[in-house]
Amino acid sequence: MVWLLAGLFLFPIILGLAGTVLPSIGWLPTIATGQGFSVILSDPRWLPAVALSLQTGIIATVLVLALTLLSLICVHDTRLWQWVSASLPPMLAVPHAAIAVGLLFLISPSGALVRLVSPELTGWARPPTQWVVPDANGWSLIIGLVIKETPFLLLAAVSQLQALNVDASLRIGRTLGYSPARCWSRLILPRLYPRIRLTLLIILAFNLTVVDMALLLGPGNPPTLSVLLMALVNDPDSRAAASAGALLLAGLVALCFALMYLLERWIAGVAARRRRSGARGQGFGVFRTLGQGVVLGLLLSCAASLVLLLMWSFTRRWRFPDAWPSEWTLQNWTSRADVLIDPAVTTLSIALTVALVSLVSAIMWLELERRALAPRIDGMWFLPLLIPQVSLLFGWQAVALWFGWDGHWWTVVYTHWLYTLPYVILILAVAWRELDPGWGHAAQVLGAGYWRVLWKIRLPLLLRPLCQAAAVAVAVSVAQYLPTLLLGAGRHQTLATELVTSFGGVDRRVIAALAVLQSLLPLLAFVMALLYPRWRMSRVQQHVKSINPQPVLP
Amino acid sequence: MPTYRRFIPVLFSALLSSVATHTYAVEPDSDWDTVLEEARGQTVYFNAWGGSDRINNYLAWVAKELDTRHGVTLEHVKVGDIAEVVGQLEAAKLVGRNEDGNVDLMWINGENFAAMKRNELTWGPFATHLPNSRYVKDSPSIKADFSVSVDGLESPWGGAQLVFIHDSAAVASPPRSADALLEFVRGDGRFSYPAPPAFHGTTFIKQLLIELSAESASSTQALSEPVEKADFNAITEPLWRYLDALHPLLRGAGKSWPTSGEMTRQLLDDGEVDIALSFNPNEASAAVRGGQLPDTVRTYVFDNGTIGNTHFVTIPWNATAKAAAMVMSDFLLSPEAQARKADPEIWGEPTVLDVALLDEADQARFNDVDLGVWALPIGTGSVLPEPHASWTVALENAWIERYGQ
Repeated sequence: MVWLLAGLFLFPIILGLAGTVLPSIGWLPTIATGQGFSVILSDPRWLPAVALSLQTGIIATVLVLALTLLSLICVHDTRLWQWVSASLPPMLAVPHAAIAVGLLFLISPSGALVRLVSPELTGWARPPTQWVVPDANGWSLIIGLVIKETPFLLLAAVSQLQALNVDASLRIGRTLGYSPARCWSRLILPRLYPRIRLTLLIILAFNLTVVDMALLLGPGNPPTLSVLLMALVNDPDSRAAASAGALLLAGLVALCFALMYLLERWIAGVAARRRRSGARGQGFGVFRTLGQGVVLGLLLSCAASLVLLLMWSFTRRWRFPDAWPSEWTLQNWTSRADVLIDPAVTTLSIALTVALVSLVSAIMWLELERRALAPRIDGMWFLPLLIPQVSLLFGWQAVALWFGWDGHWWTVVYTHWLYTLPYVILILAVAWRELDPGWGHAAQVLGAGYWRVLWKIRLPLLLRPLCQAAAVAVAVSVAQYLPTLLLGAGRHQTLATELVTSFGGVDRRVIAALAVLQSLLPLLAFVMALLYPRWRMSRVQQHVKSINPQPVLP
Repeated sequence: MPTYRRFIPVLFSALLSSVATHTYAVEPDSDWDTVLEEARGQTVYFNAWGGSDRINNYLAWVAKELDTRHGVTLEHVKVGDIAEVVGQLEAAKLVGRNEDGNVDLMWINGENFAAMKRNELTWGPFATHLPNSRYVKDSPSIKADFSVSVDGLESPWGGAQLVFIHDSAAVASPPRSADALLEFVRGDGRFSYPAPPAFHGTTFIKQLLIELSAESASSTQALSEPVEKADFNAITEPLWRYLDALHPLLRGAGKSWPTSGEMTRQLLDDGEVDIALSFNPNEASAAVRGGQLPDTVRTYVFDNGTIGNTHFVTIPWNATAKAAAMVMSDFLLSPEAQARKADPEIWGEPTVLDVALLDEADQARFNDVDLGVWALPIGTGSVLPEPHASWTVALENAWIERYGQ
C-alpha cells in the first residue's frame, strides 16, 4: 500500500524526467529528431532568454523575501497587521493568471491608475508613451510575481512565529535596548530563516520557470526561457531542443539554489559578527512608515486588480481617460455564457476530483505513517514543487503521448494530483502529528474498531485542517495551466488554459469575466472551508444541548 | 484504497485504446447519404485558432445547428497557432498513429497547408465532393492556397484581406503607403504591429515587402515562386532597411510588441496606437456595434492594395470522425452559415460563395447584411496575392533573427 502510493506519486516524476532526458540526447527519435543541446545552445534567442529568466526570477525572489521581512518588521504588532494577515489566504487563493490580467488593467499606460488621475493631474489626454506593459525588461512580470508570491512566503513565516515565541524575543530585545528592527534582525530572523528556506526555494524555482504569468506579463521578444521552450515543444523538429532546454533550465534552477546557499552562508557570517557588535540601533519611525506603505501598496494593488477584473466584466464602454466606465452591461456574462460555463464546469469537476483524491491519499499516507507502516519522508513531497514544471511535464507529456494517455480526463486529474498532494499532505501533516492520540485510545478502549475511530473521532477532530487542505487543493488545481495544457491535448479546457490562450485576442471584457470566474472558485472554496467547520460545530453544540439541557458545571 | 482502485481501470483503458483499431467506411468520395448516416452520433474535434470570441461564438452556433440537424457534436479545440497542431500531426505520423487521431477537422491555410500537403498529413480530396461546394467562387486564391494547388484537400471557409482601422477623430488622414507610414511615425503618429510569427505581423511585413519591391519586376516575380529559388538577401534588403528605420519609432520602441491583430484593435480603442491591423474588412463594424471601438473609426487599405487570401478547413489522414468532419465542412459552406458569418453583428467575414449562383432566398440572406460605415467600403483597394507559402517561414525566421532577441 505504502509503495503503491509512493509509486503513483514518483511514477510521473521519474518517467517525466526520463521523457525529457531521452529526447534531448536523441534517444527517442520518434518523438524528437536530432541532437537537442547543440540546437538550443545555438538558437539566437537562447542567451537573451536565459538572461531574462535569471533577471526576472532572481529580482522577483529577492523582492519577495525583502517584502516579507519588511512586513514582519514594520507591520507585525501594528493595527495594519490584522488586515495583512486576514488578506493573505484570499491573496494566495487567487490564481496567477487572473492577477496578471488584473495587473495589466491597472498599470498599463492606458490602465486604471493613469485613467484615475488623467487628464486632471497629469495633463494626459491620451495615454502616455513613456512606458508600455508588458515591458521589454520584465518589470511587469516581476511586479506580478512579487504580488503573488509574497503572501505565500509571508504565510509560511507567520505560521512559524508562534513556535519562535516572537513576542518574548521582542520583549527581551527591547529590554536590552535594541531597536525593534534590530530585535528582528538579531534575535528572530536568524531562527526564522531556516524555517522558511524551503518555501523560499520553491518560490525561487517558480519565479525562474513560470509559464502562464510570463506569457501574460513577460516580454515576448525574447521571451523568458520557459516560454521560449513552450514555443518549441510541440514541433517534432524542435522537441529535442525543447527537452534539452528544459534540462538546462532545471540545471539553472539548481545553480541558483547553490548560489542562494552560498549567499546565505555569507550573510549568516556577516550577521553573526554584527550580532556580537552590540550596537543597539536608532529608532526607526520613518523606516517603519515607509515599510508599511510598501506593504499596503502590495495589498491594494492586489485588491485593485481584482476589483478591475470585476468592473471590466460588467463594462460596455470605458474609454481613456474616463475614470469610470461610461456604459455598463450584463452582456459579457449573459451572451457569452457558453464561453464561460464549459470551462468553468471542466475546471470545477477536475478541481473537486483532485481535492477528493488528494485528501483521501493524504489521509491514507498520514495514517500509515502514524502507525509506523510508512516512513516519514516529507522531502519527497516537495519534489514536484522544486523541479521546474517545464522540465518535468515535457517528459511526462512525451510518455503520455507514447502510451496514448494524453487527452484523457484522468490523465489531467492525475497530473493535477501530483501538484496538489504536496500542499495537502504538508498542511495535514502538522495537524495529524499534533492530534492527541488519547482521543483515539479512549474510543478504542470503549470498543470502537480502527475504521470507526478514524471516521467518528479522528477525522471530525481534524475537520478544520481537512477543510483548509481541500480549499488549497481546489485553489492549486484551478490555477494549473501547464499540466492541463500539455496533458489535456486541448480536450479539457479549463478557465486557466482558456484565459491564457485567449488573452490578447478575445474581447477584454470577456477575459475579465473569465478571470473573475477563475478567482471566484478558489475564493468560494476558502469561504466554505471557513464556514463549514463552524456550522458543524454549532450543530454539534445544539445536539449536545438537546441531550443535556443543563449546563454541566466544572 | 480508493486512489488505487480508481487508477487501474484508467491505465487499462488507456492501454487498450492505444491498440484497439476502428474501421470507418467513409472515403473522401463516399455517397453523401452514407456520410450523413455515419456522422450521426460522432464528435468532431475541430482545432481552430481560439483567439477571437466572435469566432468562438459563431462556432458555438455551428455546434448547436450540427447537433440538431445532423446529430453531430462539435468540440472546438482552441489553439494559439495552428502550426502547433501541424507539428503534433507530424509527430503522430512519425510514431505511426494512423488512426484515432486527436484532430478531426482543422482551420488552416498558407504554409501550414503546404506543410500538411508535403508530408501527406491530409486525408484526401473530400472538399470537391461536398454538396455545397458547387456554390464556391471560381477564384485563383481558392484554387491555390498561397500559390500551392489545393486539389480538394481542404475546403474553403472564408476570405480575408489585410486592412487598417483608424479613429477619424484622432487622425483625419491616415498613411496610405509604406513610405507615408514611416513619415507618420516620424511625426507623432502612434503605431505598432504584432511581432511575427503572429499571423497579422507576418502578413504586415509581407505587405511591406511586396510594396517595397514593386518597382523591381524580378523581385515581384520571385515572390510568387518558392523562396529557395530566390536571392533572399537581395530581395529582402529594402524591407530590413525600412524596418530598421521604423522600429525605434513604434509604440514599445520595437522592443515590446502586441501579440495579435486583436490586441492592436484594443490598443486603438485605448489610444495607445492610432492604427490597428485586421485581416477582416468588416471587423470595425462588428467592434463598433459590440462596444469595442468608438463609432468614429473607419477602415481603409493602402492605395496600391493589400494582401488578401482564403482560409480553409481540412481533415487529417488519421482523423477519428471523418464523416462528421465532412458534414461540418459542408455545413460551413452552406449559404445560411456563410451569410451568418458575413454579418458584422456575428463575425463579419467575406464569403467564399459566389452569391450569384444561389437561389433568390439565399441571395436575400446576403443582401440583408448591413456592413455599416465603419467597414472597408466595398470596391476600395485592390487585393494583392500572397507570396508563395515558402516565403512565410523564411521571412519569419529572418525577422526573429534580426529583431527577436
